[in-house]
Amino acid sequence: MTFNEQELVQGCKQRNRIAQKKLYEVFGGKLFAICLRYTKNRADAEDVLQDAFIKIYENIDSFRNDSPLEYWLRSVVVNTALNHLRQQKHLKDLDDIDLHHNGIADKEVTLGDFQLKQLLEVIKELPTGCQTIFNLYAIEGYQHNEIAQKLGISEGTSKSQYARARGLLQQKLNKEKRFNDGSVRDKQL
Amino acid sequence: MMDPSEINNFEDQWRKALKEASEAPPQSVWEGIEARLDQQDKGMILPLWWQSSKIWYAAASIAALLLVGGGIWYSNSGMKGNKVNTEIAAKQIAKESVSSENKFSEKASPEASVGADAGNQQLALQDNKPESSKPAGKPAIRRENQTLAFEKSAQSTSDALRNNALRSNGKGLVSAAKNSDSAAGSSGNTPAGDRDVALAKAEDPVTTPVETNVSRDAAASGGHVNNQVAAAIQSTMALALLPTTPYNDLDIHMQKRYVFFRPEVIKEEPVAPAKNTEYYAALSLMPASFNPNLTVKEAPVGFSGQSLSTRRAVSGTSEAGASYAVQTQGGMRISKHWSVEMGLSYLKGNSTYEGGGYVLNAFSNKSANVLENAYAGVAPGYAGMNGDKAADFLNNGALYIDVAKTVSNNYQYLQLPVQAGFTIYPEKKFNASILGGMMANFFLSNDLESASGEIITTKASDEIYRSMNWAATTGLRFNYRLSPRWNANLTGSYQKSVTSGFRSNQSLDSRPYLYGVSWGMRYSF
Repeated sequence: MTFNEQELVQGCKQRNRIAQKKLYEVFGGKLFAICLRYTKNRADAEDVLQDAFIKIYENIDSFRNDSPLEYWLRSVVVNTALNHLRQQKHLKDLDDIDLHHNGIADKEVTLGDFQLKQLLEVIKELPTGCQTIFNLYAIEGYQHNEIAQKLGISEGTSKSQYARARGLLQQKLNKEKRFNDGSVRDKQL
Repeated sequence: MMDPSEINNFEDQWRKALKEASEAPPQSVWEGIEARLDQQDKGMILPLWWQSSKIWYAAASIAALLLVGGGIWYSNSGMKGNKVNTEIAAKQIAKESVSSENKFSEKASPEASVGADAGNQQLALQDNKPESSKPAGKPAIRRENQTLAFEKSAQSTSDALRNNALRSNGKGLVSAAKNSDSAAGSSGNTPAGDRDVALAKAEDPVTTPVETNVSRDAAASGGHVNNQVAAAIQSTMALALLPTTPYNDLDIHMQKRYVFFRPEVIKEEPVAPAKNTEYYAALSLMPASFNPNLTVKEAPVGFSGQSLSTRRAVSGTSEAGASYAVQTQGGMRISKHWSVEMGLSYLKGNSTYEGGGYVLNAFSNKSANVLENAYAGVAPGYAGMNGDKAADFLNNGALYIDVAKTVSNNYQYLQLPVQAGFTIYPEKKFNASILGGMMANFFLSNDLESASGEIITTKASDEIYRSMNWAATTGLRFNYRLSPRWNANLTGSYQKSVTSGFRSNQSLDSRPYLYGVSWGMRYSF
């Protein structure tokens, strides 16, 4: 179905319920995937998505057409998710981490071997601080100084948390890969 | 699937894998959002309603009413169920009795003599009442009574029966006697339906005492009760003593119910382009400065008669006074920027008229100022305060008193404006509209202070003022959106009559104008 983004925004500005629903239908899926990345379970992700959409409808007047709509929507969702984490006090004690290496460098894995569900699952399993910083840095593309500012932590903490997230993800994916390969082999046998 | 050769770095891989990821949220999320949006809409209009204790009192009263009402209904429906059972049982008995009555009428007459033992009979009668019927105990008791009835039947005679019937004061028995009285006329051929009624009555414990008296009287006066009555008594007693069919043996009627339903079809609503059409209603109050701009164009007849048609005597000025208008508007937004609106307002326009002296009738001591005199000149049927128009002041020794007075000159109008508006930044919370249009002013009344200080009221029916004159209107309105539905606005208005207020322009002219600032609220549908 074709739609005009501007008309959609205009409709939302006029509090037109049909336009509001259409906006939800068009962007809900992508925004829900973001919520799933920042939370630990689906229920929390649903709460965040609901809060985010209410914010979107309330503040749609402040959206200017000078940036893409999706970009604006994503930033509202990310901020809502961060607020949610703050309220849950998950982001309270983020410290510098001394990374101790076990000496065995994890082999880089190719993400193409995994399904989206698996990737989301792996991200969810990270400690909340690592999960958040990983999302902000690797996916959303914020710089460490911006993340530090957003979360009220030092840049160093952001970097070390990210490094930890990266290490943990490699480990987990390697494990997953081994499991995948094993199950494929089993099937072949 | 990604092509690994294109992806070199860790972040890029993840970004590519997840940036465009999408997962459909469950339906409940949208329902939650919608509920919150609805709540917000309501909340804006009725803020903090839940904090109002009245709401809670009302809710508590409704809950209490429902509880009590529900209880009564439930208990009633329970009683109905019992009644139905009773009727079924009674019908069952009646059916059997109809078929067996004739057979038993002779044999059963001794059987009825069990009535001598009132206690037993009562037991037997009560036994048939569903209230007391306990599934386990009931058949046993009934069987005992039956046996008893049949054992005793051999010894009893019809005389004994009559005596017993007369003597008996047992509740069930006597009421049975009453019933058989009523059935006696048809001597046992009574249709089954009537018998049902009779039987049902016999079982009704409430009506029984009254019936007891009646039947007792009947019995007392009926020392000569004939055999037919006796037979009827017997048959009813026999009915009472007959075994009832256990519930298990009752016919079971099955009722099949077909429920047709159409599963709700979820219809995809087409994306409607943002609707610009919007209706609104507004109410406002406008403090204003109203000036009737009244000019006397020629010396009124009373003045000219006195050779007083000097500029000084007949010219005066209208001064604006503090006025107000109560305005209602209904409007429609026809495009993003444009809207049209109509309204209905009541204007109370106060002003003063300053200038000129007044003429005094030397004989009657009556006075009239220039306006009053001018009114007299233009009104076909206007009698002024002297009763004979301006004639009083013609050649009758009227004097001109050259004392300039300020008199009040107040108007009431009903206004019907039609305006178009152009709104700047309609999507913003705070926006402005430029308004322009025409307005029909319907003249209601004019209060003019006379030279003597009295108030002369002129109505539209006096034919001095036009009943309707046209005015142009323009304004600037500032809107502030309080909620999606409510707007507060402040409008600066200017109205100017384009036609004269008077029917005749010969000697008087009035082209009122008004400046006002109105404060209002607007509700959008």
